[in-house]
Amino acid sequence: MSEPRAPDASPRGPAGYAVKVPGFEGPLDLLVTLAHQGKIDLATIPLADLAREFLDRTKRALDLNEATEALWMLAALVEMKAKLLLPKPPPAEPAPEVGASDLPERLEEQLGEYRAFKEAAAALRALEEYQTRVFVRTPQAEPELLLEGVTADDLFRAFHAVLTRARTARAAEVADEPVRVADRRAAILDALRRSPGGVEFARLFPGRVTVVFIVVTFLALLDLIKDRQVRVQQASPLAPIVVVAAQP
Amino acid sequence: MSEQPEPAVDAAVVAPHAAGDDPEALAGVYEAILFVAARPVPLDRLAELAGVPLGAAREGLEALRRRLEGSGLLLQAVAGGYQLGTHPRHADLVRRFLQREHGERLTRGAMETLAVIAYRQPVTRGDIEAVRGARSDWHIERLLEHGLIREAGRRPTPGRPVLFATTELFLRYFGLNDLAELPPMGERGVQALLDTTQ
Repeated sequence: MSEPRAPDASPRGPAGYAVKVPGFEGPLDLLVTLAHQGKIDLATIPLADLAREFLDRTKRALDLNEATEALWMLAALVEMKAKLLLPKPPPAEPAPEVGASDLPERLEEQLGEYRAFKEAAAALRALEEYQTRVFVRTPQAEPELLLEGVTADDLFRAFHAVLTRARTARAAEVADEPVRVADRRAAILDALRRSPGGVEFARLFPGRVTVVFIVVTFLALLDLIKDRQVRVQQASPLAPIVVVAAQP
Repeated sequence: MSEQPEPAVDAAVVAPHAAGDDPEALAGVYEAILFVAARPVPLDRLAELAGVPLGAAREGLEALRRRLEGSGLLLQAVAGGYQLGTHPRHADLVRRFLQREHGERLTRGAMETLAVIAYRQPVTRGDIEAVRGARSDWHIERLLEHGLIREAGRRPTPGRPVLFATTELFLRYFGLNDLAELPPMGERGVQALLDTTQ
């Protein structure tokens, strides 16, 4: 089966996690799909190589979203391969011959359907591309809504991403000066005064700072949210989290 | 006071300063309302606000759409309502002003999963996996988290599997007015779509 890669609608669109090992070259999700359909023999694919490459990549740069998805797919491959290697119980009954003749047909049908949905996905991608360039008024919610379109979980994930980035960047770990929550609170409020439109969450954490600095800054942010001095917004589920000063 | 209002339930809330039926005047009214609206406003609500029939409201919106041509804004029919948005041609500057980085996009697998759900809804996990030929739990979880899909009951078959459907946010995220606006399945889908988005 030749697999023409559907061209992504945009050069910036997620291209997928591509891998190259003996026996397969292409997007990881395609490998999962082919293995699932039995179109590729997993026994011939060195999963250890894939795992090693994954670890190398996450050390260099970590996109949590992509990394988690890739990890999930790798796990699926390991599960499939493990099942493959286990001795199979003898078939209890001979496989029914009826219907076997139309198997290729049914496979072809299913593949056609899959292709149709791949195209549909490309169409949706074009819509997404357009609509992410249209900005609408950010909902101005009631004062009680301190997290708008953001869950505490989202916030924690964002924090974790910053933390992971700092760890990956091997920031200087020597904290020569104590970092105080009060100072970080003041710094956040100051940044918000200078940007009335709000500051993107990640920008509250400058590059090359210590993990302690990040943790304390996050605590200061939580403190400010609790005191209703700032609000946290996310215009759409995939938009960046933005911190804004609460209106007095 | 030429028309005799029908005894509608909302007759009492008809705006005292109704703009009349003049599309140009209505265009101004709707421009003002949509400017402050935080969400898409349905047509019937716009008609009711201005105290005009649906047809007149539609004409007013059409006048507004014409008026906005060449401006930095555009009028969109999204998720069963109307909204003002910034024109995509200004996206880069607006993004810089808002200090937003390029938003995260859906991954390819998530987009495929979403496509199956959007076109076949309501569907079960099994339906999705049958089409994709791959397990989709991860993508389904992410889409649920994003609020692009929701659980929509259970199929009354053995195991009573959970059914998934798209949400109102799905429509807003893709700038669709309703599910009927999904691009047609097939090769011409993308092109047809690019032709309709302005």
